[in-house]
Amino acid sequence: MKYLLSFIFIFASSLYGSEADDIIKAVEDNLRGDFMYAKMSMVVTGGRGKRTVGMESWSQGDTKSFIKILYPKKDKGITFLKLDTQMWQYIPKIERTIKIPPSMMLQSWMGSDFTNDDMVKESSMIKDYNARLLSRSSTIATIELLPKSNAAVVWGKILVDVDLSNKVPTKEIYYDDQMQKVRIMTFSNVQRHGSHSLPMVMELKPLDIEKKKNSTKVIFEKVNYDTPIDASYFSKNALKRYSN
Amino acid sequence: MLYSLAIKNILASKSRTLTIFLLSMFTTAFFIVYVAYTDGSHEQMIKSSVEIYTGYAHINTKGYQEESDYDHLIEDAKQVETFLKQKPFVSNFSPRFETYVLLSQKEKTVGSMLSGIIPSRESSLSRLKSALIKGSYLEDNDTRAIYLGSDLAKRLSVDVGDEIAMIGSSLDYSTAADLFVVKGIFRTGLFDFDLSSAFVNKDYLDSIMMSENKASYFVLDFDDNQAADSYTKILSKSLPSSYEALSWQALLSALVQLMQVDSLFGYISISVFFIVIFFVIMIFSYVNIYSRVRQIGLLRALGLTSKDIRILLFNELLIITLVSVSLGAVIGAAATYYLEVYPITISGLADTYKEYGIVSDTIPTHFDAFTIAWNTFSIFILNLSSIFYPIYKINKLSVTEAMRYV
Repeated sequence: MKYLLSFIFIFASSLYGSEADDIIKAVEDNLRGDFMYAKMSMVVTGGRGKRTVGMESWSQGDTKSFIKILYPKKDKGITFLKLDTQMWQYIPKIERTIKIPPSMMLQSWMGSDFTNDDMVKESSMIKDYNARLLSRSSTIATIELLPKSNAAVVWGKILVDVDLSNKVPTKEIYYDDQMQKVRIMTFSNVQRHGSHSLPMVMELKPLDIEKKKNSTKVIFEKVNYDTPIDASYFSKNALKRYSN
Repeated sequence: MLYSLAIKNILASKSRTLTIFLLSMFTTAFFIVYVAYTDGSHEQMIKSSVEIYTGYAHINTKGYQEESDYDHLIEDAKQVETFLKQKPFVSNFSPRFETYVLLSQKEKTVGSMLSGIIPSRESSLSRLKSALIKGSYLEDNDTRAIYLGSDLAKRLSVDVGDEIAMIGSSLDYSTAADLFVVKGIFRTGLFDFDLSSAFVNKDYLDSIMMSENKASYFVLDFDDNQAADSYTKILSKSLPSSYEALSWQALLSALVQLMQVDSLFGYISISVFFIVIFFVIMIFSYVNIYSRVRQIGLLRALGLTSKDIRILLFNELLIITLVSVSLGAVIGAAATYYLEVYPITISGLADTYKEYGIVSDTIPTHFDAFTIAWNTFSIFILNLSSIFYPIYKINKLSVTEAMRYV
C-alpha cells in the first residue's frame, strides 16, 4: 500500500512540476512576445523623495533590449543596451559608452529598487528555476520557483501568483538564500494588446526595514507587441545613434 | 633554619638547580618577548588601518554603519562642523562624502568607492598624502582631478594625466557623470583599499552629486588618540540624537576581534610549550627529591614534621624560581624595550606583510610594564605549582620507609 502511495505522490509531483513549468512558460511567452515596444514611466519613491523617469524600450525575444531615457532633463538621452546577459550604458553628457561590469549587477538601476541584474535576467525564470505548483483555483495558481543547482541566480526562492485566464503574474515574492522575504512585486490593470495581455502597472516594494519608504512603480503608457523592430536597435552603435 | 637548609640543598644539587634555573629564566624571557611581539604586530596592524584612512573616530548618522547609503547622510554638515569646533579635545576633523561609482577607461569599467575629501584637512587626518607614489596630491581648488589607488589605476590601465569617466548616482538618484584626469596615484599597502579607492576634491564632487553641505561622516583626531573611546562617549552624549560618535575600536571591530582571536590562539599554542616546561621542572624536582629520600627520612627522625619538610622543599624551589624568573623578566623586559626602540626589519617581507595590512616591514614589540609583570607572575606560579606533586609523594612515605629507601 505504501509503495502505491509513494508512486502516486511522485507521479502527482511530476505532474505538478510539469504543469507549473507550462504555466510559467505561458506567462513568459505572453509577456514577452517576439517583439515589443513600450513607452513607460517609472515612479521611484525613496527616503529622499519621489522622482519620475520616462523611458522607451524596444525588445526582441528575451535576449535583446534597448532602453532610452526620455526625462527628467538631467537623464535625457541615456541609453541602455542588453544583449544576452551583458549590458552597456551610454551617457550623452560625457559621450561615453560603458559596459556594466558583473560586480555592479546588484546595484540599483537608475536609482530605482530594480537592480541591473533585474534588467539583464528578467526572463530567466524558466531556465534557471525549478517550478512547483503549490495551489491552484480556477483563476489563480501559486507557483514556487527554486533555483536549479547550477544556476547563477540571486534569489533563494520566488513565489508567483499567476492569473491563469490572462497568463500574467499578479504577485511575485522574492526570498534571499536565507529564505527571508526581500521584496514583493505586484501587477495590476491588465490590458489586452493584440494577442498579449499585459499588467499596465507593476510595483516593486523592498521589505528591508531600512527601505520601508521605498517603492518603484512602472506604468506602461503605450505598448506594441506586433511590429517587428529594426535590428539596428540591438547593436552598440545604437547607444549613441538613438540617444537623441 | 629551614631557609638556610634550603639554600644548602640548592647549592648541593647543582645540576637540578642549574636546569630549573635556566628553564625558568629562558621561559620567562621568551614569554615576555613573545607576548610583546604579538601585541606589537597587532598594534601596528591596527595603527596602519586606523591611520591610513579610517581615522581614530567618526561622527555619522545612526544606521550609517549598517546601510551606508544616501538615506543615512549627514544632512547639515555645517551644524556638525560648528559642534566640533566647540570641543577642545578634537584637534582635527574633516567631512567625507563617499559614494559607489563606476570608473571607466576605454573598454575597462571598474566599480569603485569614490570619496570627496577636503585635501588640505585630510592630509593631517590620514596618510593619503604621504602614500603618493606618482603625480601629485589633490588641492582644495581642484576640479576634474582624481587621486587613484595604485591597484585601481593598474586595473583601469591608466597613469597620471590620463582621462577616466565617472558614472554614479547623485543625491536625487539621477545619473551623475563626469570626466576626470588622474592627478596622482597612491599606494598604502592595504590591498583592497588600493584596489577600490579613488578621491576627488569634495567641493567639486558635491557639485556633481548635489551633495553640498552633506557628508557621509566626519573623521576626527583628538589631542590624545589613545583616549578615543572615552572622547567618543562624551561626544555621543552631546550630539543630537540622530547622530553617533564611534571610536576606531567600534569602526574596526572586525579587525579588533580578529586580533583578539589571534592572541588567544597564540596563548593556546605557547601554553603547550609551558606545559612541557612545567613537567620537565616537576620531573627534575621529583627525581631530585627522591634521590634525597634518606636525607629527608633522617630529618624527619631528627624531629622535623612533614609540614617542615613541605616548607623546606617548597622554599628550595621558591628561591630558585624567584631568582630565575626575576632574571628572566629583566632580560625579557630589556629585550622587549630594545626591540620596541630598534624594531627588527625583515627586508623582502614587506609585500607579504602588506597583504595583512602592515605597511612597514619592521616588527616592533610592545613594551608594557603591566603585561610584563603579569606574564612574569604567571610563569612564577606555574613553576612553583610543579613542586606540589613531588611533595605529596614524598610525604606519603613514613620515616622508616624513607630511612630504608634505596
